[in-house]
Amino acid sequence: MTKYTYYPGCTLYTKARNLDICARKAAEKVGFELVEMPSWNCCGAIYNAASDDLAAQVGPVRNLAKASQLGDKLVTLCAACHNVLKRVQNRLDQPGNEVESERLKTFVDEKYERPVKVLHYLEVLKQEIGWDNIKEKVTKPLGGLKVASYYGCLIVRPKEVLEFDDPENPQVMDDLMRVLGAAPTRFDFKAECCGGYLVVNRRDVAKSASKKILDNAKAWGAEAIVTTCPLCQYNLDKLRAVTDGSIPVFYFTQLLGLAVGLAQDELGLEHNAGDPVGFLKSKGLL
Amino acid sequence: MPNDECRLTGTQPPADAQSTIDNRQSKIPRVGVFVCHCGINIAGVVKIPELLERVGTMSGVVVTKDYKYCCSDPGQQMIRDSIKSDKLDRVIVACCSPTLHETTFRNACGEAGLNPYLCEIANIREQCAWVTADKDEATTKACGIVRTTLTKVVHDQPLEALTVPINKRALVVGAGIAGIQAALDIANAGYEVVLVEKEPSIGGHMAQLSETFPTLDCSQCILTPRTVETGRHPKIRLMTYSEIDSVSGYVGNFKVKVRQKARYVDFKTCTGCGACLEKCPGRTESWFERGLVRGKAIYRLLPQAVPNRPVIDAKACIYLTKGKCGVCAKVCPTGAIRYDDTDKFVEEEVGAIVLATGYELFDATKLGSYGVGRVPDVIDGLAFERLLSASGPTSGDVKRPSDGKVPKKIVFVQCAGSRDSTTGMPYCSKICCMYTAKQAILYRHRVHDGQATICYIDVRTPGKGFEEFYKRATDDGIQYLRGKVSKIFREGDKVMVWASDTLAGRKVELEADMVVLATAVVANPDGVALARKLKTQIDAHGFMTEAHPKLRPVETLTAGFFLAGCGQGPKDIPETVAQASAAAAKVLAMFGNTRLTHSPTTAEVDEEICVGCGYCERTCAYDAVKVDPARKKAAVNAALCEGCGACAVACPSGAMTHKNFTKKAIFEMADQF
Repeated sequence: MTKYTYYPGCTLYTKARNLDICARKAAEKVGFELVEMPSWNCCGAIYNAASDDLAAQVGPVRNLAKASQLGDKLVTLCAACHNVLKRVQNRLDQPGNEVESERLKTFVDEKYERPVKVLHYLEVLKQEIGWDNIKEKVTKPLGGLKVASYYGCLIVRPKEVLEFDDPENPQVMDDLMRVLGAAPTRFDFKAECCGGYLVVNRRDVAKSASKKILDNAKAWGAEAIVTTCPLCQYNLDKLRAVTDGSIPVFYFTQLLGLAVGLAQDELGLEHNAGDPVGFLKSKGLL
Repeated sequence: MPNDECRLTGTQPPADAQSTIDNRQSKIPRVGVFVCHCGINIAGVVKIPELLERVGTMSGVVVTKDYKYCCSDPGQQMIRDSIKSDKLDRVIVACCSPTLHETTFRNACGEAGLNPYLCEIANIREQCAWVTADKDEATTKACGIVRTTLTKVVHDQPLEALTVPINKRALVVGAGIAGIQAALDIANAGYEVVLVEKEPSIGGHMAQLSETFPTLDCSQCILTPRTVETGRHPKIRLMTYSEIDSVSGYVGNFKVKVRQKARYVDFKTCTGCGACLEKCPGRTESWFERGLVRGKAIYRLLPQAVPNRPVIDAKACIYLTKGKCGVCAKVCPTGAIRYDDTDKFVEEEVGAIVLATGYELFDATKLGSYGVGRVPDVIDGLAFERLLSASGPTSGDVKRPSDGKVPKKIVFVQCAGSRDSTTGMPYCSKICCMYTAKQAILYRHRVHDGQATICYIDVRTPGKGFEEFYKRATDDGIQYLRGKVSKIFREGDKVMVWASDTLAGRKVELEADMVVLATAVVANPDGVALARKLKTQIDAHGFMTEAHPKLRPVETLTAGFFLAGCGQGPKDIPETVAQASAAAAKVLAMFGNTRLTHSPTTAEVDEEICVGCGYCERTCAYDAVKVDPARKKAAVNAALCEGCGACAVACPSGAMTHKNFTKKAIFEMADQF
């Protein structure tokens, strides 16, 4: 079984347990293992765009240096961590940026052994495992569940660096849902802003942004939304709980886990708002 | 400094040392150098007196002269006079690029009795004066360029231009309005034309349009007389539902293989009655109707089709895919259906080829945020033309695709993909500002209480009557909103548009019943494929490249290929027709000759050295070199050779050389620096 160095990040140990648990267990079901990187530190949380503030890049550089000692690939799951690590990695390995790159590397004790390819969990599924192999591992197909795939902003942008998918109409998660037996719906707001951190001090803004996303998913007939980012999940899920309980929000790893045969208590459904268990039962999936 | 055989020591040779005409025998060359000021283009940077003085001391140079505009008649006269009075046997003109005036000066030399190929251009404008700011540096550089050219010119041999016969028949590829116009012009001059069109009938995109800007005359009404004339013209051989398979030969003598696709309907037996069209149960996507309605498996593009003969789409035909049905064969009163039809190949011989392969609209589903393919009431400009057209699926009533309701609010989005480097189409599609204004006006004609909003970045109206037409649109109550659209999505049965209003400096949300995108014009993909096959140049966006953007706008760098219409770049109908007539005029100018001249500066093979390895054949972009497998020797077809020199570089044994560009000359030229 292929082993990958895995960077979970802080949120996956706290608010987003349900994103992380299923990912690790589902990985074993589909044929790879996530080996958590020892003594990882904060990813940096937000990519610092200031080109002269190198100190702000030290956190992610240390993570990348440690990862480089363990292998040439680093798997992430949280969209925010992925965005920061991928962009800092790009800055380190970009041709023509050698001087800055060397300076950055001197800030950390760990030696940056080789270029590290930062891969999102979805990229591992698509590129390394392959949809056909995943399809073989599906034991409980999702029965045509109408799912709207919501990607948010961090995993797709900036396009040139993330190289993840078309930022205006990404498809990866839709493809995965199809493989798992769900029926991805059309959806206009796949990568529109959920409100992000404004939920902290401008809750009204986050609410209206998230409401548009939920309303549009419903308008296209979605029965559930899948997400990949803890902050998106928080905004959509929490808002849903206060405004309208009819459309549950899951992490994509939860539906992946469900389809490849994880037990109900391995899905972390207790962390989702509303009554996800009741919903899945009503659809005959639990 | 290298040991240069032209770098003679001693004093100038006497003027009568050799004949001025018998250049071949010249042991001691007599070179005249003529420096052009090009107004201030060259003289403003290069110090002409200093250049003349330094060039005058170079060995072999017997005379140096300068003039303000050497290309002018007095300038050329100066060169002609000097050739005679100074008994020159070589000439260098230090001026602009050879692509501009090499022919001019070579002709001038020829008139004075000097072999034209003993005249060389030293480009001190584009490669020196225009790109060098410092005057001393520029003067030294100009001096170096002249010295290098001098090294070459003394190696030059007199050459005679080749001539080849011309087959005075033309091939026109694509029968949109560009191809139709070019074909008619050539045919009306009395020459035969083979007109090849990949669709079952001619007319191209113009047949899809409703009315045309800025006069609002009906597209069909102005097009159909042309299509009928084309179909009936005794000099035009029309081949519809056909594609170019291959082209071989050279200018004046092309051999073209045309693939006539299987129509499954016998062309001669069919009367075009249309009985089969009524009954066919097979359904398919309709290219012509832009997906607004499902087409039938047996179809013609429009009732006024020329030729008025349907074809069967083999992929959609129930009989051809499943072996049952056969309804069309049963109802056909003349028994014209042929289910066993196959593709046929036809060979044609022509002397000139006009490429009028046209355009397509960019696939708007690739603009993810604009909702095409997701929101049914977001359509592109050509689809809206079909909605407006009296012969369209709604007979000219504006009804939206999702539920057939009459839209009361339409948002038109300009520059959908165009002028955007992130989509790979940084260019302006040119026609959209005008056709969007037209569509909004026509919409308001049809729906009197309808509201039209046009989101634009700039409105560009450079054309006769265009600005007045735009004014008419704004006077008609059509709202123009300056700002790019960021997102289009569905909300209930409405289509929502997010845009910026850059004049008011705010973000706006528009509610519409329907959205029309002015998607970017792109080169027809089949045209791009054909250009690649023919090895004629295309630009980064797939548009065919003209030989010179200003002075040779309808020719290509491959002799015998001419350009017309949107395959060369986005343009409107009047401009397309003008360009098509220009291309036809170029073909006719060629047909006015009995033989064609061809530059003799081609490759040649030394058979003593050649071992027939074939590197040259694989390198040649023009299929001009062939290795005779029996003799194991390469041979150059001089009529095809464009003199690029690639084969001479590739040749490992040195057998292949380029006339007047020998390796010896090139190495000596390089040594000058």
